[in-house]
Amino acid sequence: MADPYKPRAPFAPWDRRELPGSFDVEDSARRVGNYKWAEMKLFEALGGWVATVPELDVKMRLGTHCYKHAWHADLWHKRLPELREMNPDRLTQPANDAMVRFVEAMTEPEAPDQTIEKLVGVYRVFIPRFIAAYTFHKNNTSQITDAPTIRSINFILQDEFDDWRDGEMILQSLIETPDDVERAARHQARLEAIMVEAGGIAGPGSIGMTSTGASANGPQNGSAA
Amino acid sequence: MRKFFPVEELARDGRFNQITMKDRMADPRTVLGKDGVRPSSNRLVPSRPDASTAARVLMHGIFVGEIQALEGAGRTCHDFRTAGDQARRAQDAAAGDDSGADAVPFALKLDMARQAWDEARHVEISVKLSDWMGGEIGEIAENTVLQAACSTDPVLRLAGVNRALEGLAIDVFTTMKEFGDLAGDPFLEFCEDWMLADEVTHVKMGSDWLRKVTENDPERRKKALEFQGIVDKLFSYGGTRSDSEESPIGLARRFRELAGFTDSEVEDIAEVSLAALNERKDAVARLQAEAASQFAGR
Ligand SMILES: [Fe+2]
Ligand SMILES: [Fe+2]
Repeated sequence: MADPYKPRAPFAPWDRRELPGSFDVEDSARRVGNYKWAEMKLFEALGGWVATVPELDVKMRLGTHCYKHAWHADLWHKRLPELREMNPDRLTQPANDAMVRFVEAMTEPEAPDQTIEKLVGVYRVFIPRFIAAYTFHKNNTSQITDAPTIRSINFILQDEFDDWRDGEMILQSLIETPDDVERAARHQARLEAIMVEAGGIAGPGSIGMTSTGASANGPQNGSAA
Repeated sequence: MRKFFPVEELARDGRFNQITMKDRMADPRTVLGKDGVRPSSNRLVPSRPDASTAARVLMHGIFVGEIQALEGAGRTCHDFRTAGDQARRAQDAAAGDDSGADAVPFALKLDMARQAWDEARHVEISVKLSDWMGGEIGEIAENTVLQAACSTDPVLRLAGVNRALEGLAIDVFTTMKEFGDLAGDPFLEFCEDWMLADEVTHVKMGSDWLRKVTENDPERRKKALEFQGIVDKLFSYGGTRSDSEESPIGLARRFRELAGFTDSEVEDIAEVSLAALNERKDAVARLQAEAASQFAGR
């Protein structure tokens, strides 16, 4: 029988997790607050649009996706107090004014013949930005100290990829003519420009680079590993 | 996108035809049926001669009702400001609306988003069941009952949608589940049972939030319950739903209890529904008497 008292290394040879990470507690909390705000705006918009789209399959997809983003917002809501933010509303904020303008512009289309615009805003601009910001956070935060955030991001990213694929495929099925292509591209460009100004879901540095190309990483904390 | 959306503008593809409940009730055929003959209105059971058509029609009604429930839950996620959302408060103030009355708890909105997903699944389920029963999308006019979901007061909306409309869904699914059981259709019974579980959850959400949000505001709670009473009466559909075997749909007392209805609330709905059934029977008798006297006077 194996000796249960034989000393073992605290980290198994296959466990390569490291202590250093780009974000301290405050950095992580600020980002999580931005994520929560943006996920809230997304589920509110999807819920509101359900009644405005005549396409039955799209209606059902929007209702389904609405819940997923509400659940993401809830995961972040619950993470905030664990990051020493006892009043989660205080950090539930847009990254900046441009992000508020982005959401305003994204939610502008209401007419029943604007399904393409609605979906382009969500699936070709907003959700890709979520995927980017979450991936950056997951790959740059401390794998040990910020593990609860990483765990949530893993669940959320799975949803984001699934929903992005759903939305993109619906869009491909709706875009039929050169005119439709033009409409979709024009709307995407308009929203993308505001998003660039915002710098991403968590503002400039959402994916570690500012628009001038400089790294926006925080200090390398916990580098004593 | 506007904050509140009129029921007339619910977007539908070309297959759907919408009528309002008012129009439907004003149609004399609703009371007397085709050629002046009162349609069968007894409990929906397989032994009814028109059972297959009646079940198919009811399933189409469930299908469009689920679409509206999905839209209502989605709109509630959007229409009301989340308590503590300062950015939205600033936006509202800039747009000239700085009232805080429409702010609802974050957790309430999460429940509504969950309901949106559930209702989306119910649309999926009922469209497949409709197909299974030989129905077609749009073959029956869609009754727009969503006025209840357009209230600008979140508490009234909860009372109208989550307690009255969703309460009716509990009654309908219970009847349909029993129908599936009696008709030897395990597929129908299985699906209705799953939807019933979700609806009990939705009504419970409504019951819990109504109590919580109006905890310190008895006047607002009273108003909400009155509104629910009005919607319940509307949903009694001239006696379509009641304890009486003469109503196609029964009152699911046990499941309503699970969903947070008190005994006296269930009794109130039973009373209103029975009164609606009697009103309808009186109306039929009156119309038949009128027709008979016209015939005699010829
Ligand atoms: Fe439902
Ligand atoms: Fe429901």
